Amino acid sequence: MNNYADFRVTDWVEDGPFRRWVYYGEKAEFWNRFRQEHAGQLAEMDQAREILLAVRGPLEELSETEVKSLVGEILNGIPDEPTIRPLPWWRSNWLKRAAMLLLVLGVAFSMVRQQPGLKKLQTLVAEVTDFSRPETIEIVNTTRDIQLVNLPDGSSVLLKRNGRITYPAQFLPEQREVSLSGEAFFEVVKNPEQPFLVYSGGMVTKVKGTSFSIRANDGDREVELVVKTGLVEVYAQETGDNGSNTAPRKILLKPNEQVTLNRKSLRMITKTVERPTLLNIPAEVQKFEFKRTPLLEVFAELENTYGIDIQADYDAIAHCTLTARLGDEPVNEKLDLICAVVNAQYNIRGRVVTVTAQGCE
Amino acid sequence: MKNTNYSPETHLILRWQQFCEDDKTAFSEIAELNYSALYHYGTRFTVDRDLIKDCLQDLFLEIWEKRHSLSGVAAIKPYLFQSLRNNLLRRVRKQSCFSDIHDDDVQDDLSPEISWIIQETDQLTSDRLKQAIDSLPKRQKEALYLRYYEDLSYEEIANVMGLQRQAVANYLQYGIHKLREYWSHSAILLVLCADFNWH
Repeated sequence: MNNYADFRVTDWVEDGPFRRWVYYGEKAEFWNRFRQEHAGQLAEMDQAREILLAVRGPLEELSETEVKSLVGEILNGIPDEPTIRPLPWWRSNWLKRAAMLLLVLGVAFSMVRQQPGLKKLQTLVAEVTDFSRPETIEIVNTTRDIQLVNLPDGSSVLLKRNGRITYPAQFLPEQREVSLSGEAFFEVVKNPEQPFLVYSGGMVTKVKGTSFSIRANDGDREVELVVKTGLVEVYAQETGDNGSNTAPRKILLKPNEQVTLNRKSLRMITKTVERPTLLNIPAEVQKFEFKRTPLLEVFAELENTYGIDIQADYDAIAHCTLTARLGDEPVNEKLDLICAVVNAQYNIRGRVVTVTAQGCE
Repeated sequence: MKNTNYSPETHLILRWQQFCEDDKTAFSEIAELNYSALYHYGTRFTVDRDLIKDCLQDLFLEIWEKRHSLSGVAAIKPYLFQSLRNNLLRRVRKQSCFSDIHDDDVQDDLSPEISWIIQETDQLTSDRLKQAIDSLPKRQKEALYLRYYEDLSYEEIANVMGLQRQAVANYLQYGIHKLREYWSHSAILLVLCADFNWH
């Protein structure tokens, strides 16, 4: 314990903890108690306090946002210099912010856009059955591993073993429709103008751009879905035999919410889960947040998550790092972003991604 | 380089080294961490807020330019304070009509541009204490500010203000003495004031 009891004004002003209390309110509890227990010290302490405040003068605080924008202006004033050591422009904060902004905008958008509700379910459903259109692609995962399927709009689907997905070679302008049997994890490209619909074992899932898992195995009595990000709307597909003209009950799900549809009774039960894991694959829980992470690690994570094989000149990218929140974008968009950042190009062929990079200094 | 759970000082030193090696993110963080303190210090010299912001912009652009020669700077905060002070005083002097006055005159004269502003609205400080601190020479006030509010050492203050260490010690001693003296004159009044202020 200090000899605070004997302190005079000149001692108090020199005392660091005392000053931090006066200026920043640190350890207020201690000081308040001290003041109660040392009434004889109050006059000296108050004097010291007043002197310190007078020394500081009025505090004209700049808000954090103000500081950020002022610093931003400074950063803008820095010329992009073509010096010997080119500046890694992507290291600045803007990318992180842009990524976050996109994420926030995306979520906000999907929330806003969910409002108008559903239109013409019947026609939607009718169109589903109309898969007789030419150029329908069907992919069945006969391998033992998960298989990445890139849809025409850039959305990614991770298909588990024996999963089957059917989709048109080109989506209709008004909506994107796929049908699934088996288990798959979806990362849907955000496009509020063109809703994305999944038909799976009697359940219809409608999203604008989110990520979620579906389990709809042919023999099962139930279909399940869990949401990783964004908002997802589900409803039971009309079978038509009850002839009702009322819209079916639809359920809006938020992240970490799971729905189970009984295929027979068409009853849907929702619950909240701690982790959105239905299929037990890495993509369901992967956050893709990187802070100065070596590119090698980022690639390893992508390979592990999407079951792809990234080929790159690993010596060239040895010094590259990435700071970004990639979130729930499909793998294509993640690669787009990463490559933009490290000044590289990529090329996907099947499950092999070839990255050509200049390297980072 | 993943988790940086160091003390703020160590963190700043690390970031400074990265900044010297062209890391723009580190540079922006250094600027953000120090901006407010520098700005507030700037208000010691001028009421012109835009001028302070201008000088800060110049200061940071300047240190970015010469970042490769700055890795030897050990005391980062004093370095920034000193740079701002030099920039600001140069600009203030340029603006004032007495263009060829000496450094001391600039700081110790009661020219409006370089006035300390103690707002009347600061309820915690009594008017008479304000008068007392206003009556102190500017350099003394500045030394007190750097010592107590910015927690700089005597050496650091000496570097920032371009003084000998002993001069700093004298300023501080004299300054506190003056403020205390004022107190003994108005002790009775202040007991009442203090009592009032605390409730």
